[in-house]
Amino acid sequence: MKYRQLLAALVALSLIAAACGSDSGDGDTASTSGSDTEDSGGGAASAGIDVDAILAADLDNCVDAPTGDSIQVGAVLDFSEAAGFVDIPGADVMPYVADLINCTGGIDGRPVEVNVREAGDDPALATQELIDWGAQFFVGPPFADATLPMAQAGGGEYAIFAAASTEPTLADAENNTFLVTFDDVGQSSASAQFAWDQGLTEAIIFTEGEGVPYSGVNPDAFIETFEGLGGTIISTQTYGWFVDTDFSSQANDVAGVADGDEVFFSAAANFQITALKAQLEGQGLEGITYMGTDAFDATGTLFDPEAEGFIHTPHAIVEPGSDLEAVLAGSGTLESDAPNFMPLYIDSMLLGIQGILDCGCDEPADIAEAVKNISGFPGTSGEITYAGTNGIPPKAVDIVQNSDGAYNVLGTIGG
Amino acid sequence: MVELLQNIIDGLGRGGIYALLALGIAVVFGIMHLLNFAHGELITIPGYLTFWAFNNGFNWWTVVPLIIISAVITSLVIERIAFSRVRGATDFTLLLTSFGIHFIVSALFLVYVSASVQSIPRPSWFADTIAVGQLNLEVFDLLVIGVTIVVLAGTTWLLQRTMFGLALRAAADDFDTARLMGINSDSVIRGAFALSGFLAGVAGIFWLMRAGSVTPSAGLNPMISGVLAALIGGLGSLKGAVLGGLALGMAEVLIRSWLPGGISQLTDGFVFVLIALLFIFRPGGLLSVPSVERV
Repeated sequence: MKYRQLLAALVALSLIAAACGSDSGDGDTASTSGSDTEDSGGGAASAGIDVDAILAADLDNCVDAPTGDSIQVGAVLDFSEAAGFVDIPGADVMPYVADLINCTGGIDGRPVEVNVREAGDDPALATQELIDWGAQFFVGPPFADATLPMAQAGGGEYAIFAAASTEPTLADAENNTFLVTFDDVGQSSASAQFAWDQGLTEAIIFTEGEGVPYSGVNPDAFIETFEGLGGTIISTQTYGWFVDTDFSSQANDVAGVADGDEVFFSAAANFQITALKAQLEGQGLEGITYMGTDAFDATGTLFDPEAEGFIHTPHAIVEPGSDLEAVLAGSGTLESDAPNFMPLYIDSMLLGIQGILDCGCDEPADIAEAVKNISGFPGTSGEITYAGTNGIPPKAVDIVQNSDGAYNVLGTIGG
Repeated sequence: MVELLQNIIDGLGRGGIYALLALGIAVVFGIMHLLNFAHGELITIPGYLTFWAFNNGFNWWTVVPLIIISAVITSLVIERIAFSRVRGATDFTLLLTSFGIHFIVSALFLVYVSASVQSIPRPSWFADTIAVGQLNLEVFDLLVIGVTIVVLAGTTWLLQRTMFGLALRAAADDFDTARLMGINSDSVIRGAFALSGFLAGVAGIFWLMRAGSVTPSAGLNPMISGVLAALIGGLGSLKGAVLGGLALGMAEVLIRSWLPGGISQLTDGFVFVLIALLFIFRPGGLLSVPSVERV
């Protein structure tokens, strides 16, 4: 329960951050054409990044090492329990991709270097260390409590990509902070649209409360869209995100109003929904459609048998046999807890590099300006556009269902 | 009325787990005057063993004894490597030591296992219900209540009818006098930690079944629930610990049920208001006991 966490935090000097999103990435293998990305303003046009060539690079058969001035990528990541499941493997995949880039001759003859610092208790300090090292842009952790100090440490001049975050308030193009994936509103609105399209007209909502980051914002967005389409919310229940696993009283309430043909929506973690589902089924509610957010595949328990049939919104789908899968395997992240998030880290790197190419510059502030104008970037997690946005790319949302230990893509909304 | 009865059963099921946790905390507190914030690790460590066991072909029948045995061993090891070295220290030192153990254990699992959730399959009957009139009673809740009653009865017998129990109670009452009477302090303390571990192990079985997962900080919430229940019941009182656990479980379920939907997220807040009111009128908890001597 949250109060328990608060109590513990007070007594023990800080524990457990709450947090939000997760993301996973993948997408159909890099749909990138390797083609040159269009010049997006902000400076001299330059060749784009050949993403396909990078993903296909063979580290045992590289061209001559690039000799130009290096492109320096700073990564301040959160290795705690809150975000470590994505940021720890993220810290492995980015240097590996830099090796692949350098193996192909670098970016316009320039090698790429990645320097990772743990955010720890002082992300601003970690950021400053990387600024001193010469970082030109940053990849950051998914939570605002780290990203905002990073932005402050950089004076708002550095582009910061919150690789695995869906928190809409983190994106602020004016201050050069960017999401790499869709935000909470985008994914949950898409889920509502999908549910409605399937003929589901009544919904059961689990939330931590209106406006609560992630665990409340996602249900808020679902409700707004679902009701806007004509749907009805028959029950709204509260719970402790990532904490509660006993939903007895909620199940009693739901059993009093539900028939079993509703859609259930929440941003809860997979292991919470499996518990709730079992308790609702114990009450005789067998036919409910369970829908969730990217949190479903943020916990390493995505394909538990108990989660069979769950519908959710991942950020990417790593196709078996693809070059992207080989990259994850080569970096040791394919077997991590969040392989589908790794494309977001790869894209974060590549987007910053694309900014450098677009502006033909090395100054962080100029790079950030160029990033704001990126349009149609063929990322490994899907096409990414920042031009005309506040830093949240309007990406398509895949709606997938767990089926025999794999994703079954049911549809795609938006984009 | 039906809903009330349903919620009471649910509350007793939840409270039974809290009672077992609180009793384990109270046993150690009675002897050492130590509020053991590492008590949750008696669930975290067996939880990871459970995760490992299921990945190696074990099932719940074989995992249950594993959880209890590992909880007892963990409790004894923690006592040996941490608390035995600071027995003469202040309460604050003991408190910080227990916190230190919690953080170290969490960090070890975070670094060497994973930051992510590790899945534990729930038993197939986990959410089965039995219809009694209009009531749909969860088998899980009924099992928790039944096992809690049996374990509490056994603990009562142990404390009241055995030499170990006599020594434990004597030590809890006045440790120095008990030692002068020939009671071996090391044995009593180890026995208290072993009993505490056993109770945590039984609670851990149900906690892990319900959670269906384990994380590096999996022990945090059970620990806080146990500490809260022990405080509500009256620190040092074994009966109070049980009463506190049941009261906490009932309060959580009933308040959530009674609150209107729009403010049900304030359940935890209301529970704490009740706890605050309790301490205003009964600072020592439901069953306050005289302060005890620490080793």
